[in-house]
Order: sequence, then structure tokens, then C-alpha cells
Amino acid sequence: MKQYLKYLFPILIPGIILSLPLSWFPIENITLAEQRIIAIFVLAALCWVLEPIPIYATSVLIIVLELLFVSDKGLWFTQQASPDLGILLSHKDIMATFASPIIMLFLGGFFLAMAATKYRLDVNLARVLLKPFGQQPKYVMLGLMMITAVFSMFMSNTATTAMMLAILTPVLAVFAKDDLGKVGFALAIPVAANVGGIGTPIGTPPNAIALKYLVGDKLITFGEWMAFGVPFVIVLLAVSWFILSRLFPADTDNIELTIKGRFLKTPQAIIVYCTFTLTILLWLMGGIHGMNAYVVALIPVAVFSVTKIITKEDLKKISWDVLWLVSGGIALGLGLEKTGLAANAVAAIPFGDFSPLVIIGGASVLCLLMANFMSHTATANLLMPIVAALGLSMHSLLPYGGQVALILCVTFAASLGMSLPISTPPNALAHASGHINTKQMAKVGASIGVIGLLMTFAMVYLLTVIGFI
Amino acid sequence: METINIICVDDQREVLSAVVRDLAPLADYFNIEECESAAECEELMDELDADGEHIALVISDHVMPLKTGVQLLTEIADDSRFKEVKKILLTGLATHADTIKAVNQAHIDHYLEKAWDGQELLQISKQLLTEYIVSQGLDYESRLAVLDAPTLYKLIQ
Repeated sequence: MKQYLKYLFPILIPGIILSLPLSWFPIENITLAEQRIIAIFVLAALCWVLEPIPIYATSVLIIVLELLFVSDKGLWFTQQASPDLGILLSHKDIMATFASPIIMLFLGGFFLAMAATKYRLDVNLARVLLKPFGQQPKYVMLGLMMITAVFSMFMSNTATTAMMLAILTPVLAVFAKDDLGKVGFALAIPVAANVGGIGTPIGTPPNAIALKYLVGDKLITFGEWMAFGVPFVIVLLAVSWFILSRLFPADTDNIELTIKGRFLKTPQAIIVYCTFTLTILLWLMGGIHGMNAYVVALIPVAVFSVTKIITKEDLKKISWDVLWLVSGGIALGLGLEKTGLAANAVAAIPFGDFSPLVIIGGASVLCLLMANFMSHTATANLLMPIVAALGLSMHSLLPYGGQVALILCVTFAASLGMSLPISTPPNALAHASGHINTKQMAKVGASIGVIGLLMTFAMVYLLTVIGFI
Repeated sequence: METINIICVDDQREVLSAVVRDLAPLADYFNIEECESAAECEELMDELDADGEHIALVISDHVMPLKTGVQLLTEIADDSRFKEVKKILLTGLATHADTIKAVNQAHIDHYLEKAWDGQELLQISKQLLTEYIVSQGLDYESRLAVLDAPTLYKLIQ
């Protein structure tokens, strides 16, 4: 019975919501369209938490259900005129979430990462960058963490973790059986990958989802994000390194990482190096050249397609599931916003009575908790539209940075959930190495999560003080 | 979760049981089948394939009446339905010529000599199953507990 519940709940509960009379909802003047969006939202939340279907499938389901039931070209009975009908969404807007600028930004990131892996830029960079760190375990760990973090700013956290663990595996094999250092090293990689993702807008999907809501005068450019994201990553990485090397000191006094290979010097490899550098530079320059980050992201897509660096076959290997997962989140946000539900629901709850600090703290802690048990992206998909609406309507938040402060805290919190093997794919991969037990991971992950959240508050406070947000 | 099968073939009942015993740690995640002859294995593979189930690994003895292990594995290698199936030859009595055939024609993934070490058989099986799962695009996250982590790291970069 228990195993069927995860299928039953996502069908039953939204079904009940749909069948309730409008007057039962504690929101004034609620419309049918809003009621349907509530049902879709609850369905999405249940599916992302219980995972009866893959998380990207939930996203596709959101988009299709919105098209069928809340769009101007939906099923006939959903469009029947009624005083309670409310605002239906444009079907074109819903479909456009598949090609939203945010998705294009990620596509550009995927192309860069794929080309870098294909021409072994990643492994070769790792080899060169690791050299200066010598052979003392403590410093080798620092080197590994820094490189993992830098890579995960531009590549997927999972791919970076797999690559670095592959480099680390032969070293861990020669550690003595009861050497705690093994635990430290095996944990250092996923921690650094999770933390590193915070550094850039394309580092991890929650960041991109946040960007979706940071528009108009609240715009944060690629360079601006890195200006506060990278220092944050550096400090948190240093703290993590301190914790890991204290808790799990290595008994061996010499570690030798051997990474074989040489930098490729073929014309195509050189195109990859140049395009990679150029794209990042253009991103960092902000608006000087007139292009925004989304437009810049499509440059590597064109260059690598034209030069056949990314071929037809490579194209099939793109993580479409990640792109769809984010699209679904955008569509959910669109539904909440355009039907007016987000604003109405926020108005129905007397948030004005709460202290703004309680709101920021509460939302961030909730996000951190959720991110420990479910996908970071799904967490951001669910929370971000609500948080954005809340931030917009709460004027008492303004002295503390307003909507931007709230969004940034929640976004960073989403990346800090890393205390369990199920929290993130990098954690699962590291746990599979067999060197870490769940308790050790929980101890390290929970401390870094809490410290990271406190640091986020401090950072947002600083940004407010200097008048950035 | 899709059913993924491991098929063990040996004409000696007690050897077959020993192989299955060594693979017991995998039993929660994979379906382990036992066959006492090549013909039985072929019939079973036919059936499993028709049911849409995955066959990840065949572990076969060589010296068997009617059809040898190398013959069986060669036929599996030549069958387009089973081109991805991983193959282990487990034998103590193969001649030099048989061994050459096993490599060149049956394209076996591993050759293990009797009497084998149970831990080694389990470890090799884990590696081959990991390769199969990644190459087939099956969900590896739910089976992490019994896959070979280093192999996985190399394959999913």
C-alpha cells in the first residue's frame, strides 16, 4: 500500500482541490484559472517531493497541463465563459518557456562544458592547476577543492564531481584502511562542487531560476553575480577546507596525483580554448558591448556547431532533462504570476504583520531544509515564484534589500542543501565510493549548510549597506 | 525500476549454485537466472527479450554437452538483439584454440579461470553491470549501492 501512496497523492489531492467550490478557498475573488493553477502547483510539489515520476517529467506535465486547462487554446470546457473564469494564459507564452532566455543561457553553458570535456580542456587544466599545490595532503585537498569549485561554476556539478573523483580514486586506493584522510578527500569533492555552483549564474540551475525574477531595475548581470558569488564561494570553500582537514586529518604525509595527457594543439582544440575564454570575458564585461548574458551564451553554440566541434551525435547527449526541468519551473512561475494567483495569495496571508527578517530567515531555512531532501532545482522551481511575489508586495522588506535580498538568500540556500547522499547527485556519487558513511556526510554537510546560510545573510546585509541592492 | 537480468550457465548444478551464491549481494537489484545448458540459456534469453526485459550479463562455463560456452557466447555476440550483453567465460578446461575463439569471435568481456575467487567474480560483474547500465542509459542512481564507483566516474564525465 505504502508504495502506491506516492502515486495516489499526486492524483487525489489536486483532484480534490479542483472539485472544491471556489468559496471554500481563503483567497478573495479567486477565479477558476487560479484554482486550476493551485491544483497544478500542488501536483508539481507532490511529484517533486515524492518522485513517482522523474523530476523533469513533472516539469513537462506542468507545461502540458497548463496548456490543456489554463490556456487560451486549451480544452473547450476549460474556456467556457463564466464570471469566475479569470485570466487564461497565452499558449504561446507557455510554450515559450522551453526557449526562455534562461534556457538559452544554460544551453550555451552546456556547449562550453561539452566542448571543454571533448577536447580535454578540463582534465588538462586540472593537471596544470594542481601542480603548485605540491604533495602534502592538506594542500592537495585545498587544490582539489578549488579546482572542483572553479569547474563547477561553468560545468554541471555532477560531471565535475565524476571527473574529480575519477582522478582521486587511484589515490584513495593506496591510503591505509583506517586513514580518516580518505573520508576528507572523498567529501571534499562533492562539497566543493555544490559550493562552487553558487559562483556564477550558470553554475547551477537554481541561480538561473533566480535570474528569471531579477529583471527591470533589479537586474543582476553575469559579472555582478560573480562579483559577490565568487568571493562567497572562496570564503565558504576555505571554511569547508578547514572543517574537513580538522575532522578528517590524513595520516599519510605524501599524496601523488597522476593525471596523464597533454594539451591538445589541433586547430579545433584552439578554437575551443579561444571561444571558451572569449565567452567568459564577454559575460564578465556586462553590457559594454551591448549584448546581455543570454545573447552571449548563444555565441559558443554557433561557433561549435559551425566548426563541427559539437556534432550531431554530441547534440543528442545534451542534458535536455535539466533544461526541461527549468522550463517547467518557469512555466509554473508564469502561471502563478499571470493568473494573478501569486499576488492574491500573498495578499490573503497577512505577511505584513511579520518582521521582514523572519520572512527572509524563514524562507531561507525552509529552502535549505527542502534542498536537503529533494532536487535543488525542483526546490527553487517551487519556492522562487512565491518568494518573488512575496518580496514584491512586502514593503517592510525594502530597508533590508527588498525582493532581491529575499531571492538571493533563497537561491543560495537552495545550493547549500548537501547533508545526505540523496541531497545532490555529487553527494550520491561520492557516497558510492564507499569511503564515506552517511553520518560523516551529514555532519559535514549540515555544518557547511548552516555556516553557508549565515554567510549568505551577512553577504546580503553587506550588499545592502553598500547600496548594491 | 526495469528488470535487469544476469544469466549464469553451467551444466554442473553445484558449480551453478556456487556462482549464484557469489553474486548474491546483487540479488536485490538484479534478477539472477540459472541455466543448465546452452539451449536453456538461449530459450530464456529469447523469452526475456520478448518480455522487454534487459539482459546485462551472461556468465557461462565452457565445457558443456551439445553446445560449448564459446559457441553459446559467439551466437550471443552475433545476435543483434544481444549486442550490448556483457559476457564472462568461466572455465578451467578451455584449450588455447578455444580461448582465441572466445576473444576473437565471442568478444568476451572477461575470462575467469576455475577455481575462481568469489570476490573477484562479484567485482568484475559489478564493473560490467555498471558499463551496461551507463551505455543503455538506464537509471544508475537507484542502483548505486551495487555498482562499481570508479567505473561509473569514468563513464559519466
